[in-house]
Amino acid sequence: MMISWKRVNAILQKDFKDFSRNLAVSSVIFVPIILGAFYGRMGVDSIDTHFMLVNMTFGMVAAFVQCCLIAEEKEKNTLRGLMLSPASTADILGGKSLLTFIMTMVVVFFTVYLAEYKPANVAIIAAAIVLSSFFYIALGTLLGLYSKSVLEASVIVMPVIIVFSLGSFITLVVEKYPILQVATYLPNIQLVELATKVEAGAGFGGVLVEFAIILGWVIASLILTVVIYRKRMVD
Amino acid sequence: MENIIEVSSLAKVFANQTAIESVDFQVKQGEIFGFLGPSGSGKTTTIKILTGQLTPTSGTANVFGESVSQLKKSEYRRRFGVLTDNSGLYGRLSIYDNLKLYCDLYDVPHSKIDEVLDAVNLKEEKSKKVSSLSKGMTQRVTLARALIHEPELLFLDEPTSALDPTNSLHIHEGLRALNAKGTTIFLTTHDMHEAETLCDRVAFLNKGKIQLLDTPDKLKKRYSDSTITVELTNGEKVILPAGSEGANQLFEYMNTDQVVTIHSNEPTLGDIFVQVTGRKLA
Repeated sequence: MMISWKRVNAILQKDFKDFSRNLAVSSVIFVPIILGAFYGRMGVDSIDTHFMLVNMTFGMVAAFVQCCLIAEEKEKNTLRGLMLSPASTADILGGKSLLTFIMTMVVVFFTVYLAEYKPANVAIIAAAIVLSSFFYIALGTLLGLYSKSVLEASVIVMPVIIVFSLGSFITLVVEKYPILQVATYLPNIQLVELATKVEAGAGFGGVLVEFAIILGWVIASLILTVVIYRKRMVD
Repeated sequence: MENIIEVSSLAKVFANQTAIESVDFQVKQGEIFGFLGPSGSGKTTTIKILTGQLTPTSGTANVFGESVSQLKKSEYRRRFGVLTDNSGLYGRLSIYDNLKLYCDLYDVPHSKIDEVLDAVNLKEEKSKKVSSLSKGMTQRVTLARALIHEPELLFLDEPTSALDPTNSLHIHEGLRALNAKGTTIFLTTHDMHEAETLCDRVAFLNKGKIQLLDTPDKLKKRYSDSTITVELTNGEKVILPAGSEGANQLFEYMNTDQVVTIHSNEPTLGDIFVQVTGRKLA
């Protein structure tokens, strides 16, 4: 698939200007940062709490913002304009995702910094966070493609934020309800498990399974997103 | 002249509603082709099929000699432009920023922005936010966006529907200039005056079928009742046959200085449409 950086950059610049003037959506990115500062001042220092904040950032920034950006393009019929231009699927989806990716990374950084989370191995955690963000951005894109309006998008993305922000608490009831064992394979829970192992001293070799499961989610969500996007190109 | 669009037995059915049914036509390279019909007659459906936004239920549609399914490819999308009734502009951005995005997507220098804004009479407004524009101005920005890469083929869906007569005239001049440079224009409209002044050929679409297809002049001659109206000095209007039978009577009026005006009674395209389809254009 060919990608034109000029076109990706053009869509990124447009999105940045548009997003910065859209306070209804852009104000959401401050919620995880404020919570991070709050938890940091409270002295909360557990992997579950730190990664609840990270996963909340994924839900509120990567998924929610991306979902709203795509839904607004659909609602205002601007996505059709992009689709009818020479920009390829990769140019459009790449351009539409780049702003969300950059914002997610910035918000995760400030959130964990203010929450005073100091990973035992920054490289592994950073790699896992970058990889996980792709899944949430793809999920946001997918939900945006299914939404008819920003209002509808902001409703359908809510369960995603709840499941993926607080989902790690499912592990507390897994023994009581074995069916929930399946949920432990969700990328947010795998991220927490990965971070827990890293805190216990594991290197890259020790967290390969978690990386592989997260990568599986990323690949599946990306394929699904591209398929649905291409279907949406034709009425 | 080579055909840039070739449509054969084209049909589109949505659920159990037929939008177009066995439509056949060709558009020659360099012509302005008018696709006329009332709301709901299938004009927009046809444009959507021809631009690859809809898959036909049956029949074939070729653009640039290729099936419309090929229009998903970048190299084909660069060759056509589309203006629809939905502006598809970013309301929070300025006119300039909207057009800058499309310059970058089509690899066109930013200097082109002033040129197209001049063509649609909006050069002085380029820093205005799109959301603050009137419907007519928004329509002109949309047209500027469709023109920015000087497409070989331009699809215009009701391009002047929201414009006042002055701006419509300005747009018509711009479209003629673009056509003179070689751009083929596929125009849907229900404005018969627009079709008469702009189009080389027109097709009448009604209930998903093409009822007539020819040049406006030939259609008017074909449906003319071959009479003339003579306005006399006493205010009376007399209808005379255009042939030799009316000539003696006309000569008599002229000889006695009674004639104020003489008009041939050609039907308008609107009259012909009503005559052929029994429907009004709206």
